[in-house]
Amino acid sequence: MSRRLSSSLLWGCQMPDRLQQAITVLQTRFGSAAPRPAALPCPVRPSGIPELDTLTGIGGWPIGRLSLLAGARGSGKRTLAQRSVAAASREGPVAYVDFPSRLDPEFLRHFDARLDHLLVVRPKSLREGMASVRVLARAGVDLICIDLPRTPSLGLDAELPHLLHRAAEADCTLLLVHDADADDAIRYYASLILSFQRSAWIFRRDGDLEGLQVDAAVVKNRLAPPGLKKQWIVPYPIP
Amino acid sequence: MICCVRTPHPSLVAAWLMTPALHGRPLILGGLAHERGSVTAASSEARAQGVVEGMSLNQAQQFAPDATFQPVDEEATARVRQSLLLTLHHFTPDVAAGEDPGCAFLRLDRLALRWPDRAQLLVAISRAIDAAIRVRPAIGVASSMFVSKVAAARATAGAPVIVEPEQTRAYLARLPIDVLPLDDDLREYLELLGLKTIGRLQTISRPAFRRQFGLKALDIYDLALGTDRRRLRAWRPAVRIEASEPLEPPVDNTEALQFIARALAERVSASLLSQGLGTRGIRITLNQESAPALKVEARFAYPVTTAGELFDGIRPRLLRASIKAPLERITLRAGRLEPAYVRQPGLLVRSDSFKESIADAVARLQEEYGPSLVQRAEVRSDAAPLPDHRILWKPA
Repeated sequence: MSRRLSSSLLWGCQMPDRLQQAITVLQTRFGSAAPRPAALPCPVRPSGIPELDTLTGIGGWPIGRLSLLAGARGSGKRTLAQRSVAAASREGPVAYVDFPSRLDPEFLRHFDARLDHLLVVRPKSLREGMASVRVLARAGVDLICIDLPRTPSLGLDAELPHLLHRAAEADCTLLLVHDADADDAIRYYASLILSFQRSAWIFRRDGDLEGLQVDAAVVKNRLAPPGLKKQWIVPYPIP
Repeated sequence: MICCVRTPHPSLVAAWLMTPALHGRPLILGGLAHERGSVTAASSEARAQGVVEGMSLNQAQQFAPDATFQPVDEEATARVRQSLLLTLHHFTPDVAAGEDPGCAFLRLDRLALRWPDRAQLLVAISRAIDAAIRVRPAIGVASSMFVSKVAAARATAGAPVIVEPEQTRAYLARLPIDVLPLDDDLREYLELLGLKTIGRLQTISRPAFRRQFGLKALDIYDLALGTDRRRLRAWRPAVRIEASEPLEPPVDNTEALQFIARALAERVSASLLSQGLGTRGIRITLNQESAPALKVEARFAYPVTTAGELFDGIRPRLLRASIKAPLERITLRAGRLEPAYVRQPGLLVRSDSFKESIADAVARLQEEYGPSLVQRAEVRSDAAPLPDHRILWKPA
């Protein structure tokens, strides 16, 4: 593909003519070994959280790829994922694959989610869940959040290639929420891995819990430079 | 207008196709002359000597001693019949097989645009049949199946009989009542009353006919007036869409099996697509090396055509199949064929704001894994404060 595209298109920016000519010559001579951009421009879906969009380096969740939100329980990753689901539900159909069966639609509604745009999949097995994701992705669901069980997911490594192929075909954004340390397979196939850690609880003056302070880090990023870190307060919705 | 195409009995045509020298000679089908049995079909030359269908073979030999006797080749006969219908099906899908073998009907109404000249159309039909089964048919055209059949019986190979709707009554009037499908009692009764032609029958009023012969006989009365209420039951050509692949060496891992199944699904999909069909069920046959063949069936909620959708239905079943030995062959056969599903365009969004394809996908998942797999939530703020009461889960 890179040989056919003009260099400026490939790099997504204007370059001096001489540099452009040099790159064309190198591409003609060396093919895939020629210089190429660190990451091709990837379409993104805003997460609805400005801090998170900045952290990813591309302005949101990558479309047609898998993003992993990892971290211990209570680190805020599920809250952030659900806020992203709520934001996406305002734009089109979304699905939440709820392996642990702990999704609270009322919590989502506090984020102004459109529940009529939300499909909740409650699979009994990993295979059932992954089949649902494939079918829904191809049918045109914009964003699918997969909330994995804590127990190790046997067979996930075999399912992930099919899943990613289908998501890429259908321009579907996949979010994976995982409590435990992610399998090697997930780490390999994910284009973006965000690690979350709670640094503090935030309380109101009256003593009620208001939110949590989150330390987030980009562990892996195939689309922008990794290693970014950010700290912000994730507010809980006020009922 | 309905066109009736009449050819000699298909078993005769099959015999002529196999042995062209028999054409023009007395030929009697049903068995050899010395066998016990009855005549199934006889050529016009044999008929001229007094042979009729149903007559014993022994008797037929006495009438036509120089005739050739042959058993009926059922398979070749079926092929001739299929060939006749398929030839007509190329003109229009409104084709029906007649009750008499060698008789077929086709509706001409939808051909008016393509064939404005009816005479040319009839010539083309005649030529097409001649090319397919080497027989020139007799053709009758009329407003109903019954009248067209009567007309075809009086037509010859080169001269079709066309009865315009306004001439139907007059055309039938001069024919004997034998052309009507009468039972013995009614025939005898009509003859006793001196009603020997349809024209005489037409002079009786409908209420008087009903009083005399009863309600059941009114169908006969209607036929005598040219009204045939039977509907043309469209014949559909048999379609068999199948893809099969021998596995050499035998396959014993699921990854390779899925890869091959995907390729076969693409082949089945291409065949379906070329015929504008969709399948509502795929049968997967897995031939095992040293164990009985496994048969697995995937069903779809709506007619499916694309390879992706087919494979989505096939894959979970392949993975679940209890395969005990390496596989030697995999076969996919598409069943329950229907015209390809027409998808709702994206512009028209359903009232529940989901695209049609998502609704289909959800229906398919629920059919396969149960209605509780995909759910939708509704929050009822006016309900009791308990979460179980406030949140209403229902199948999507």
